[in-house]
Amino acid sequence: MAFINLQNVTYKYPLTKTPVLQNINLQVNEGEFVAVIGPNGAGKSTLCYALAGFVPHFFKGEISGTIEVDGVESSKSTLDEWVLNVGLAFQNPFNQISGAKYTVFEEIAFGLENNGVPREEIRPRVEEAMKMTDISNLADRSPYSLSGGQQQRVALTSILVMKPKLLVLDEPTSQMDPIGTREVFGVVRRMAEGGMTVVMVEHKMEWIANFADRVIALKDGQILLEGKPNEVLTSDVLAENGFGISRYTSTAREAKKRGLWKKENLPVTLDEAVEGFKLG
Amino acid sequence: MHERLSFYVKRNSVIHDLNPLTKVILTLALILIAFTSPWYWTPHLLVLVAIIPLSFIGKVAPEFFRTAIRIILPAAGFLFLMQAFFQPVGDTVIFKFYFLDVTQESLMFAFRNATRVIVMVSAFTFMLLTTHPSELMSDLTRRGLPGQFAYVIISTLQILPQMQAKAQTIISAQRSRGLDTESSFLKRMGSLSPLIGPLVFGSLAEVEERAIAIEARGFTSKKVKTSLHEIPDHSSDKIIRWGLVILVILSIALNLWPS
Ligand SMILES: Nc1ncnc2c1ncn2[C@@H]1O[C@H](COP(=O)(O)OP(=O)(O)O)[C@@H](O)[C@H]1O
Ligand SMILES: [Mg+2]
Repeated sequence: MAFINLQNVTYKYPLTKTPVLQNINLQVNEGEFVAVIGPNGAGKSTLCYALAGFVPHFFKGEISGTIEVDGVESSKSTLDEWVLNVGLAFQNPFNQISGAKYTVFEEIAFGLENNGVPREEIRPRVEEAMKMTDISNLADRSPYSLSGGQQQRVALTSILVMKPKLLVLDEPTSQMDPIGTREVFGVVRRMAEGGMTVVMVEHKMEWIANFADRVIALKDGQILLEGKPNEVLTSDVLAENGFGISRYTSTAREAKKRGLWKKENLPVTLDEAVEGFKLG
Repeated sequence: MHERLSFYVKRNSVIHDLNPLTKVILTLALILIAFTSPWYWTPHLLVLVAIIPLSFIGKVAPEFFRTAIRIILPAAGFLFLMQAFFQPVGDTVIFKFYFLDVTQESLMFAFRNATRVIVMVSAFTFMLLTTHPSELMSDLTRRGLPGQFAYVIISTLQILPQMQAKAQTIISAQRSRGLDTESSFLKRMGSLSPLIGPLVFGSLAEVEERAIAIEARGFTSKKVKTSLHEIPDHSSDKIIRWGLVILVILSIALNLWPS
């Protein structure tokens, strides 16, 4: 049995006519790292909300099909229960800060307090989570005084401290500079290597090529392509459908037309490109 | 970016060690007494013998006076002038200002009202300076206040400094694109209008995201919440709270007393 199991999921936001997710079928195994790509408005965020329980428990509207995580069906659960198993983090780190806490330490403890974790357990769990994401040194700072990358790691830690089985990330690095991106990816990689199941919407193709086990390309609410990172990210279909493409892929594609790229597969990362052009 | 985006100032003082509810009740009691006490000089006395000394005891006097000078006194001064000029009471005319008679009665009336407002705003300021927002929230929910309600209070307390910081960011951004924020008042008001969109609509979209973010952390969970910090609630807190309640009742009773 797959850990995540979406069967024929179709969803419409309230007061809208066209479904944002159309007949989605998706199975993800425990411990797998799946990247989701797609142009603006493809339904990536909505898919994240569906996995994290916010569709249909927070956003109403019309839904059909079934969403199952770890053997439990979303529609038969409540949001309170669901968020204990599925953690969600998204783009803007500033909006993920609760606004009710004074220090980073307290901010991270917020989820544990809400879920009635006994006081003696809160402190060690927060400390452990902060160590995992390498932000122990920020404990006494105000969450508002941090850089974007630091804030996003605080947001991630605030979720990880709750020990979810599935981590859903909606473009967590899209507002980060290169340093912030590296910091956030460092955390995500560690989680994935630790065996956590991760579904991550991401635009940075090179990072995906390095980390993901599988890539799902979403367009107009449907899964257009699915497979190994290199196959999906270098597919001609993506280029024809307005997806963002790695510049190394497009360069090599041009080069191939002129016979300058000899390898069968196109590259996604700089290293692959260098390797390939050396052969030529 | 401001380091401090909530009013709270962390210090070690007996006021900081009071239970949050005690401080809420203290604030409400000061306000209620200032507005109901029949004795004319009560609000003035509250400022001098209660609020100012308390700000010293709570070790937040510098922050308190800064807020007082920047916000509280100008607002109260404005209120005083409006009422002194436009309140048509009494006939002991002290001076005339064009067609407006300023009477002794209207001055007295305006002076008391302005001081009442000073009590109200400064009592709140004092509470915000000495009360940890999330401890206040935990304490109130522990006492049965619905969590959503407590959150609204707390995040509102935090939103003002946040908005201020954001306005500052937007102003710098607009200014760097040539927006004039430094000439005459009216001209500035006009040219600041491009701020309103991002500030208000930005906030609305952000509210939804923040709602999702806190729900993702179990905010609406029906479990009994716990708290990272132990929240003080000594027997002295209870005595103070009841003492304040009795004072308020006395003040209201004296006010209603047919004299
Ligand atoms: N709350 C909402 N109500 C109605 N329509 C929405 C809502 N959120 C998103 N949409 C619409 O759903 C479509 C998919 O949005 P989204 O899932 O955010 O796409 P993506 O994350 O891939 O950019 C878009 O056309 C968007 O306008
Ligand atoms: Mg999106």
